[in-house]
Amino acid sequence: MRRSNTRKAIGVTQTGPLGPVFFIAILGILLLPAPSPAQTIEEKAQLCAACHGENGIPQEKTTPVIWGQYQGYLYLVLRDYKSGARKNDIMSPLAETLAREDMMALALYFSQKRWPDLQQPAAPPDVAARAIRANGSVGCTGCHQGQYQGEGTQPRVAGQYREYLQQTMLDFRTRARGNNPGMTDLMLATSEADIAALAQYMAGLQYLPGQ
Amino acid sequence: MSPIRTALAIAGACALATTGVDLATSQEVKQEARPAARPSLTPSNVTQDMLNRAASDGNNFLHTNGDYTQKRYHPAAQINASNVRRLRPAWIFQTDVKESMETSPIIVNGVMYVTTSFSQVYALNAQTGEQLWYYKQPLGPITTYCCGPNNRGVAVADDKVYLATLDAKLVALDAKTGNKVWQTDIADPELGYSETMAPTVVKGKVLIGTNGGEYGIRGFVKAYDAKDGKLLWTFDTIPENSVGVWAEKDATGRDMKRNIQAEKDQLAKTGDPYKTLGGGVWQNPAVDLATNRIFFVVGNPSPDLDGSLRPGDNLYTDSLVSLDLDTGKYVCHLQYIAHDVWDLDAVSPPVLVDVRDKSGKLIPGVLHAGKTGHVYVHDRKDCSLIRFSDAMIPQENMWTLPTAQGARMLPGANGGVEWSPMAVNPQLGLSYAINLHQPMTYQVQSSPYPGGKLWLGGAFKVIPSEEQWGNITAVDYNTGKIRWQVKTPQPMIGGVLATAGGVVFTGEGNGKFNAYDARNGKVLWTFNAGAGVNAPPSTYTVGGKQYVVVAAGGNVQLDFKRGNSIIAFALD
Repeated sequence: MRRSNTRKAIGVTQTGPLGPVFFIAILGILLLPAPSPAQTIEEKAQLCAACHGENGIPQEKTTPVIWGQYQGYLYLVLRDYKSGARKNDIMSPLAETLAREDMMALALYFSQKRWPDLQQPAAPPDVAARAIRANGSVGCTGCHQGQYQGEGTQPRVAGQYREYLQQTMLDFRTRARGNNPGMTDLMLATSEADIAALAQYMAGLQYLPGQ
Repeated sequence: MSPIRTALAIAGACALATTGVDLATSQEVKQEARPAARPSLTPSNVTQDMLNRAASDGNNFLHTNGDYTQKRYHPAAQINASNVRRLRPAWIFQTDVKESMETSPIIVNGVMYVTTSFSQVYALNAQTGEQLWYYKQPLGPITTYCCGPNNRGVAVADDKVYLATLDAKLVALDAKTGNKVWQTDIADPELGYSETMAPTVVKGKVLIGTNGGEYGIRGFVKAYDAKDGKLLWTFDTIPENSVGVWAEKDATGRDMKRNIQAEKDQLAKTGDPYKTLGGGVWQNPAVDLATNRIFFVVGNPSPDLDGSLRPGDNLYTDSLVSLDLDTGKYVCHLQYIAHDVWDLDAVSPPVLVDVRDKSGKLIPGVLHAGKTGHVYVHDRKDCSLIRFSDAMIPQENMWTLPTAQGARMLPGANGGVEWSPMAVNPQLGLSYAINLHQPMTYQVQSSPYPGGKLWLGGAFKVIPSEEQWGNITAVDYNTGKIRWQVKTPQPMIGGVLATAGGVVFTGEGNGKFNAYDARNGKVLWTFNAGAGVNAPPSTYTVGGKQYVVVAAGGNVQLDFKRGNSIIAFALD
């Protein structure tokens, strides 16, 4: 089932990795008070919208969609930012302030939102064939499930931003993202050209609602 | 356990079950619209005596692997080698979950229990396929598993049905209603523990192991009180001294090219790695009722490919282990591969059968089919190895150590024989195993323990340009010789059933479900199920008619086409 196009509502498209929207977003975050225990989850979640989007479409294509992502995965992401296993200048200090129950609640909150349709085209047949071959070698769908829909602590990557996917896979390769050595191992066994094909292919897949 | 690699991509839409975002819901039992269950179909109590006698019970299929010896040899013989060609579907039941199916249907006096991916259970009328009840376990937010959300089925005893769940819980259901009676936490899924195996129930105990060999767990087998879920004993599959004897050769005598000095240096530096050494047990133990002992196999060490972080033999990974049933105390073990760096671990469930020892004397034995492609034949008394069979698939360059660039060695990390249970025909002295041929490279990368995250220490990579295939192989376990072999176009995974009718049943990833002549491997009958038949078949008799039943749901690990069918066959 395809989701309605919510992208138009944003009216801003930023493609550069460090465009003006990014700085405005950071400024917004820095000006906001750190989440406090008294805040409701909705209030805490407001902070996330600055980068991840008011309606689920992130400001930057290298920022992941978190609306409709799995609770277990989102919780692990926050946990890893807090522990320092994963590092990001914006996310790490934010996660530091969160207790486990806050992380679980935030993860639940976003998991219950609708995954947005980013309107990314399906990969052309030659790219798809390359991606399918790469999956045949290292077995992405063993964890990310059929049609790359994810489950539990395995993220949905179907319909995620192509730029984010490609950057993430490359970051695993260089260990710039160091919180999943298993992914690092698999990405080291996958060529950069295959990674590019996988990113394009996965980005062009549709969100399939669970049962 | 086998990690992540698949043969081909993109099966049909993968129907993902809701994964328990509502933590407040304790359970959900859907009573679907249906006629009231007939009185004759009220699930019967399963006594210990019934469980003990399962091997001679032609009406029922009471254990995941047929009976406590796990022969998967059923006495019903109405369907036999001369009439099996007349086998036709009697009914098809479609579950709500279209994802990898590995369930062994359990049948108790006309009631069938099957499971699906994501730990869901259906009770069906075994004669008609009509649904009696449905239980959907609300999974917690954290599930950690490497190779699909599989479930291999339930155990039955007394008035209960037992299920182990993907989020590492043990659940007892009321066999009549599907309502939850009790639930207990087996382990913390955030640390990499999960459950896909069916429990085994014996003498008031529920036995359960764990997955997690790809996540740096410390494996175990636990026994719970069947009445209330109270923990009775725990056996850690990784002892605090896991170093062993610095074995340089595998169980078949081949040099494993270990650098023992480097390992000893590492041991002096970092100590015994037992806390994160893996050693999952995710297949049912066999139970020897005569000696009150259980036999199970232990999976790979963590991390799979990187031995540098785990000096020593890594006991009891890649081993056959026997325990005392009452106490959970160690009795004996045999390690097939010490310090495994190929994930060629021990996963197919062991089988208890009388075998000829080296002098030709008939003694109580144990069989295990390895990922190496050998059937290992043990003396049940002390776990020692009597013989190993001819290799059932090509072996090349054993034991080549993994390299940073990737080194080719056969078999690939899925086997040989994966988790697929064998069947045994004790009249013919043959064991039937299904095999994979998947050429791979083994690549090593060292990284520290990531805390409950995937930890392979490298990658197994299918070589895309090389042909893959499978086979079913009959081995004479009294000689170790291959009696017959039938090649299949794809690697095989699922399981085997043998019957007193002289027939052997198993399925293929392309949807074929086949009957073979137990004596010579002649294909007697084939049915195309439309999705991968990658689950072990069962058989039973109800209303005077014998049925053979199997799930066709495909497979995550090899990416065989997904489906959601339970198909029962009978003679027309």
